[in-house]
Amino acid sequence: MRSSTVGWLFLAPTLVILFIFGVLPFLYVLVIGFTQWNSFAADPTMQYNGVENFRRLMFDDQFLYSLWLTLKFGFFAVASQILLGYLLAQLFMRDFPGKGFFRTVHTLPLVIAPIAVGATWRLLLVPGLGPVPYYLNQWFGYELNISRYIDQAFVATVVMDIWHWTPLVTLTLLAALASLPKEPFEQAQIDGANRFQIFWHVTLPLLKPAILATVFIRLMDALRTVDEVWMLTGGGPGAATRYIGLHIWRVVFPKTDYGYGAAMSLITLYLTIVMCWLLYAGLVARRDLKRAE
Amino acid sequence: MMHCKRLVASAFVATLMASTAPAFADFWSDAAKGLEGATIRGVSESTPPSNYVKDVLAPAFTEATGITVEFEATSWDQMYDKAIKDMEANTGIYDFVYIEQDIIYSYLARDFLVNLSDMMEQNANLKSPDFDISKFTTFIDNFKNADGDVFGVPMEAFVKVYLYRKDLFEDPKVQEAYKAKYNADLKPATNHAEYRQIAEFFTEYAKENGMEMWGTTVQASSGHPASVYEFVESVLPTYGIYNWGIDTQTFAASVENGGQMNSDKAKEALTWWIGNLAYAPPESTSSTWDEVAATFAAGRAAQGLVYGENAAWIATNADKSTVVGKVGVALPPVEAGVMEQAKSGEGYIGYYDGGAFGIPHSSKNKEAALLFLQYIGQESVQADWALAGSRIVHQATYDDPKIVEQDKKVDGYYTLMKEQGPLFRGAPPFPFHNQAREAMAPFIYQAITGELQPAEALDKAAAAVDAELKNLGYRK
Amino acid sequence: MRRNRPIVSILFWTVSSLITLLPIYWMFIVSAKSRVQLFGSPSFLLTSFFTENYINTLRDPAFQRYMINSIVIATSNAVLVTTLALFATYALSRYKLGGKENVFFWTITNRMAPPAVFLLPLFLLYTQVFVLNDAKLFDTRIGLILLYCVFNLPFAIWTLRSVIDGIPKELDEAAYVDGATTWQVLTKVVLPLAKPGLAVTGILTWVFAWNEYLFAATLTSVHARTVTTGLAEFVTVTGTNWGQMAATAMLTLVPALLVLGLVQRHIVAGLTFGAVKE
Repeated sequence: MRSSTVGWLFLAPTLVILFIFGVLPFLYVLVIGFTQWNSFAADPTMQYNGVENFRRLMFDDQFLYSLWLTLKFGFFAVASQILLGYLLAQLFMRDFPGKGFFRTVHTLPLVIAPIAVGATWRLLLVPGLGPVPYYLNQWFGYELNISRYIDQAFVATVVMDIWHWTPLVTLTLLAALASLPKEPFEQAQIDGANRFQIFWHVTLPLLKPAILATVFIRLMDALRTVDEVWMLTGGGPGAATRYIGLHIWRVVFPKTDYGYGAAMSLITLYLTIVMCWLLYAGLVARRDLKRAE
Repeated sequence: MMHCKRLVASAFVATLMASTAPAFADFWSDAAKGLEGATIRGVSESTPPSNYVKDVLAPAFTEATGITVEFEATSWDQMYDKAIKDMEANTGIYDFVYIEQDIIYSYLARDFLVNLSDMMEQNANLKSPDFDISKFTTFIDNFKNADGDVFGVPMEAFVKVYLYRKDLFEDPKVQEAYKAKYNADLKPATNHAEYRQIAEFFTEYAKENGMEMWGTTVQASSGHPASVYEFVESVLPTYGIYNWGIDTQTFAASVENGGQMNSDKAKEALTWWIGNLAYAPPESTSSTWDEVAATFAAGRAAQGLVYGENAAWIATNADKSTVVGKVGVALPPVEAGVMEQAKSGEGYIGYYDGGAFGIPHSSKNKEAALLFLQYIGQESVQADWALAGSRIVHQATYDDPKIVEQDKKVDGYYTLMKEQGPLFRGAPPFPFHNQAREAMAPFIYQAITGELQPAEALDKAAAAVDAELKNLGYRK
Repeated sequence: MRRNRPIVSILFWTVSSLITLLPIYWMFIVSAKSRVQLFGSPSFLLTSFFTENYINTLRDPAFQRYMINSIVIATSNAVLVTTLALFATYALSRYKLGGKENVFFWTITNRMAPPAVFLLPLFLLYTQVFVLNDAKLFDTRIGLILLYCVFNLPFAIWTLRSVIDGIPKELDEAAYVDGATTWQVLTKVVLPLAKPGLAVTGILTWVFAWNEYLFAATLTSVHARTVTTGLAEFVTVTGTNWGQMAATAMLTLVPALLVLGLVQRHIVAGLTFGAVKE
């Protein structure tokens, strides 16, 4: 192993930038999380109020509901993306004419800005303008109105997220599949395993790190989704799609409730880190296991 | 004439600035001595009146003074966020900010804005002879403090009116059908029952005739505060509940504490308003003020409450609207007794909206900004600006030939605004405008989706506002 | 060998592509219609092309400025992030650093913060703290370029880690034995082998930077505004100018497509995170 000083030097620029633009703001948020501070309160100055914000949060129905919704959203969106992404990646492993073209098409949604994605889906789904509600009604007599029915709105945001981010999952899993070693599969075939057995006992364990890593990245991003949903539903109808990022945004921006919003962010950040740490621990354990072998 | 020589010299500049008065064209270059080359920056919501400032008035001002104007026209949420952050943190990014009528009391409470009256008095050399506060409509009173000092120069103002499809209302066949059904004459509604009846009639009429049309618009976005605004500013007052149902002395919202937000009248109002959704196009639950205007312009509603800033383009611009020449304008329908209260000044029947430009204390170019504000407040620029954005802030603009001409095309909207304007009023003088709105919004949204019954929604909204105002320290 | 059924698979991919393309196609349809044409029953067919939406957008000097800003910011950020991430992952992979797994995980946590509340401290930093005479980070390209590192660096490090880990250490050792310096090992040995991974990391960070909205909207004003903020502005304009917004969205897609096309052939080879070659 080489001198660790050089190693830290290589890491230094990254750490410095993350410290200035990531940690400094975080410290600030940490401080105001323990204050009562609203620009338009009777007393607009910042005042230390201990853990009052956190105490209030534990009984704040809107916040807890928003957290629960976000988890639900994250679960459905990421789970569907992994399933669909895996399926597409497996199919892309085969050879067929026009593969490169189809792969490009299936990568497209990835490069569209979330805010444009939200706007596009809004154009698709708003009654009176969008074709989806129109034709659903014409052909099946189904009434689609995501600004009126809470379940439809939730599903719409999940579907939009699936559309937008499945390409990323497909690409990463495709890369992982492409780099799998051949021997275990050949061995399994010699042993007479059927397709399901091969998938369950060979493919899945080998793919596990890549899947966990993808879940990790996707979950992280899904939990802080703002732009797309803001454009599509604005968090409505009611609070049906008011995910935590959006909820915090409403508390901090229009309501200018900085202290309370900061406390909310801290709790959310903490929960996200814990969840991701669990995933990560799974990953590292796996890697260490492999090394030990 | 003393000014003659300079007048000739500035003739070139004056022709460039087609809309400014040549007689005072030289004041600007004089006043701007020493400020040439300065840059002022402002933020506003991207609306037609703002864009007119950005595209026409700002370049003309630069031409006249040598002061560059950087005008940031952005979305409504962003505009607030950035202006408030700038003033709160005292950073001095903006030299003038857009002040919507309803936020002025919050800004004044925080002493964010420069007292323009004082500033003009103390800097006589910066006071334009063509800028005169007395020329403005009474809308400017919204931007005065208790002493009558002005903190903002109005740049747009309009009333939220009742628009209806004149062509349909006057169609003998339609009138006959209406008469046959309800045994009454079809005319613009004057009360809520009539309004509902007409909405019901047109919804069914459209269905029978295969038209993509409904009886009314409703600004009922289930995820945007626009719906809260329509309810508290345009519906509640027509039921005789003023100031959002919040007591202006004690700041109490709920009946238990002495407010009116969840009073029987307020519940009746919400029930009526939510009930209108049955006769409104499906996009209503995602409609803000913009979409309401678009819906009406698309011919998808027979009547509705629409912000006046849209009246002109809906009635005249065939590129954007399918109902050109078919728009009628009237006063909103009210409950019995409300009109009398409005006429006596005790109450009001709707929302008089608009905004002004003010100078934040944090600005580092206050002199240049003051010049700019006076520039856009001149008499001579008003008429063309009004044509572009259907906004009127000067009394004399109403009589300008261009506006008189336009008035005919929009079924007398300007006349209505001029004559009946006093029946409308801006938002109540609350320093916690956004906070109260955000507190009640979730429950209004849930009433729209049907998760809560109107009565229940208002009980919860009133309780939430009470709690929020207590938390903010406005209520004991 | 797998059996090939070209007809079936082409059919499948065509249907799947149509579903993927539907929203984009609809955006295109909207962009090619005037406001009045948008009313009425929606149709997927285009009878005429209303070019004004595109012309208005392209002629708008603000849009041109936004576009240039976006290109400069996204490209600089992608280059910066990829370079720094290469350094960082090389350090994490090749050096024995105390608590490096924790350092690694900590860098990732920077991407997890809910963005809204961090806008306030960043706004203060940009307008009041990082100030030199009259120069502020607020409303500058460099401000956004540095800020985007906060969420792009974690992603890049995460992606590149397994790429670098996958390059056999024996190659480094062999080079050192031949007398190469650390810098030479990094640039002559590791860099060429990591190219596909770097390309794909670069493109994805570019895309993230190109697409970012919330920070750009708050931390810029006039000079450094990006196209995504421009998009949002169309939405709240009176009458909701959907046609022009769609046209703008279509135009912002073009540079992203070009960049994607450039690295398309690397994209699969490069994205190997988690799948360490033994």
